[in-house]
Amino acid sequence: MNLNNKATAQNTYDAIVVGSGISGGWAAKELTEKGLKVLLLERGRNIEHIKDYTTAMKKPWEFEHRNRLTEAQKETHPVQKRDYPYQEANESYWVNDLECPYTEVKRFDWYRGFHVGGKSLMWGRQSYRFSDLNFEDNKKDGHGNDWPIRYKDLEKWYDHVERFAGISGQVENWPALPDGQFLPPMEMNCVEKSVKKRIEDHWKKERIMTIGRTANLTVPHGGRGSCQYRNLCSRGCPFGAYFSTQSSTLPAAVATGNLTLRPFSLVDHIIYDKETKKAKGVMVIDSESKENMEFFAKVIFVNGSTLGSTFLLLNSTSEAHPNGLGNASGELGHNLMDHHFRCGASGEAEGFEDKYTYGRRANGIYIPRYQNMGNDKRDYLRGFGYQGGASRTGWHKDVAELAFGGEFKDQMTQPGLWTMGLGGFGESLPYHENRVYIDKSKKDKWGMPVLAIDCEFKGNEQKMRVAMMNDAAEMLEAAGMKNIKTYDNGSSPGMAIHEQGTARMGNDPKTSVLNKWNQMHEVSNVFVTDGSCMPSIACQNPSLTFMALTARAADYAVTELKKGNI
Amino acid sequence: MDRRDAVKSVAFLLGGALSATTIGVFLEGCNSNNSDNKGSNLFSAEQDQLITELADTIIPTTKTPGAKAAGVGPFISMMVKDCYPKEAQEVFVKGLEDLEARSKKEFNNSFLKISVKQREQLVGKLRDETVAAQKAENEQNAAKEPAKQELKVPLAAGDRYKGTSYFFAIARDLTLLGYFTSEVGATQALEYVDIPGRYDGCVDMKPGQRVYS
Repeated sequence: MNLNNKATAQNTYDAIVVGSGISGGWAAKELTEKGLKVLLLERGRNIEHIKDYTTAMKKPWEFEHRNRLTEAQKETHPVQKRDYPYQEANESYWVNDLECPYTEVKRFDWYRGFHVGGKSLMWGRQSYRFSDLNFEDNKKDGHGNDWPIRYKDLEKWYDHVERFAGISGQVENWPALPDGQFLPPMEMNCVEKSVKKRIEDHWKKERIMTIGRTANLTVPHGGRGSCQYRNLCSRGCPFGAYFSTQSSTLPAAVATGNLTLRPFSLVDHIIYDKETKKAKGVMVIDSESKENMEFFAKVIFVNGSTLGSTFLLLNSTSEAHPNGLGNASGELGHNLMDHHFRCGASGEAEGFEDKYTYGRRANGIYIPRYQNMGNDKRDYLRGFGYQGGASRTGWHKDVAELAFGGEFKDQMTQPGLWTMGLGGFGESLPYHENRVYIDKSKKDKWGMPVLAIDCEFKGNEQKMRVAMMNDAAEMLEAAGMKNIKTYDNGSSPGMAIHEQGTARMGNDPKTSVLNKWNQMHEVSNVFVTDGSCMPSIACQNPSLTFMALTARAADYAVTELKKGNI
Repeated sequence: MDRRDAVKSVAFLLGGALSATTIGVFLEGCNSNNSDNKGSNLFSAEQDQLITELADTIIPTTKTPGAKAAGVGPFISMMVKDCYPKEAQEVFVKGLEDLEARSKKEFNNSFLKISVKQREQLVGKLRDETVAAQKAENEQNAAKEPAKQELKVPLAAGDRYKGTSYFFAIARDLTLLGYFTSEVGATQALEYVDIPGRYDGCVDMKPGQRVYS
């Protein structure tokens, strides 16, 4: 008895944060800085900043397979290999799919990384605010439920997270893409500058093109170094020049003296106390020893990634919550969304033969959504933005197919064509039937049941894709590009790695899982602040919004805790 | 859209998913599940030499060193063993055998012994045949698909790699990959800057400017 009490006391914290990725790192930082003793749980191994970025300084020829995958890697990574992010250069950051299977009722590409920092190590770093256009769309067209917040609720939290994370970008005064607290923008190259001017002139600034807003530092910031323009971000940055848990939020949390980080801690379920009607802690499986243990806290932040968090909630059943924690609405697991992309156009630029670029800019350009705004009306709902860029390669127009030989070789070493591409990122609607649930017919390496994913894009997305191709071609043409080609390479949910929804926020406990503070309607001391909380996904890259929502929720949670309300 | 465009379109989408590393056009691997193929005896010693000479015909020494100096031959042998499914490995071995047989038939000598000119002639034919075969395959596939693609739900993405393996296409692909990512190719044929430190979006071309690797 005495021993047990001691063990419980040792395992008790003010707050537990489940997951150490982008949003979990923010939760840990904000909660520790407000004085809470925090236990940060991570299911995978630790990766120490800089020291463990083992490939970061390698040269191209130091990779045995020159960044291609071996047959053995393809066998253990049948999902991760489906698209380009899983490469030789950062293969240790991606899960072995055989250890953590899931059920694809329909194809869903689930990209995961089990380690401290999560996908904050490998993310694309594009950072855009949502606007009221986005917060109001659900209400306007009746798809999904109304967001319980508006831009004014989140604005100061965007300010807060941008100031710390360091986002470089250009102020544009574009209403659908609010400006932020920017570090100096990266430079467009000469072709991009020309395209920007011609598009903005042609459409009289009803369409704009800006440099990508990215969490790469263009000047030293907060003790971190500035971008060295190597474009090797996804290996981990030894200069700390992009935002990740390791470079940014984790050191801040550690500096408070209030943080305990525990890697190899897979949370099996949240322990619910039916007397207090609150969560009292979590049951953890040590993912190395498979030993079970319990940890306790007054507040729990769930930040295990969109589908990781929803799995945890679905798996946290009890007499009072037979269908998953806080799931009286029945919405837990529903309304899964992702961006659809891999669709657009490219063309060749002429007249810049005497110009070239220096340095490898890990950033492109951005054309924010302009459809279904003002006078622009479409035959589909919502809209898309474009990412893209111009570059000059060693490819030359007159090179024959499968050419070889000395002349060909020497030609390949001289700067050749300038090409410019635009690729759309489209919003998908929140469909109730796009959902996940627990499949007990399989078990993963740790003895846990698995997630079943049943999700597809539908007609609105398909219609939008036609416009994503045609508009891109139209703008490239207006910009004077030649030999324009459109493409649609197909897009399966999950591929954009912007999966969101399944534990949505809302005002009504009957139709949503979380309230406007990301707090569970039914369990007041549990907060969910990763992508699972999103009632809609807009077309912008979402991570910045997860950061802002997390900081806002942490502030609220601590205030409520101090008031004795939770 | 050819594969090169497909890869480029991915490279543009920097924020799409996760960061692309080198914007090389050589990102892809091949797509199969067989892996009982890591046999070290896939090629005979002579075939290893043949691969080296073939690579050096594809990327020869000019004012900069060629594929042989960059060690591309052994690289290709290793890549075919490690990164290709059995079916493609077989195509590759058969391609080597055919090349050698044709050399003997046309020039009464091993590919290893014939002149550079003769090698170019043989490889040129191989190249023309491969282009024709790929073209025919593309046309056949295009004929199979409905004239106009109707709205497909769900919009599934294709697998990363599809299509028939061609000996010359694999050999050329691996030669280019191996050469331009080798230290010799990246630093002498191309210009390699390890840590650029800044980005200049608009610089004047210098005379003799090489592509940055």
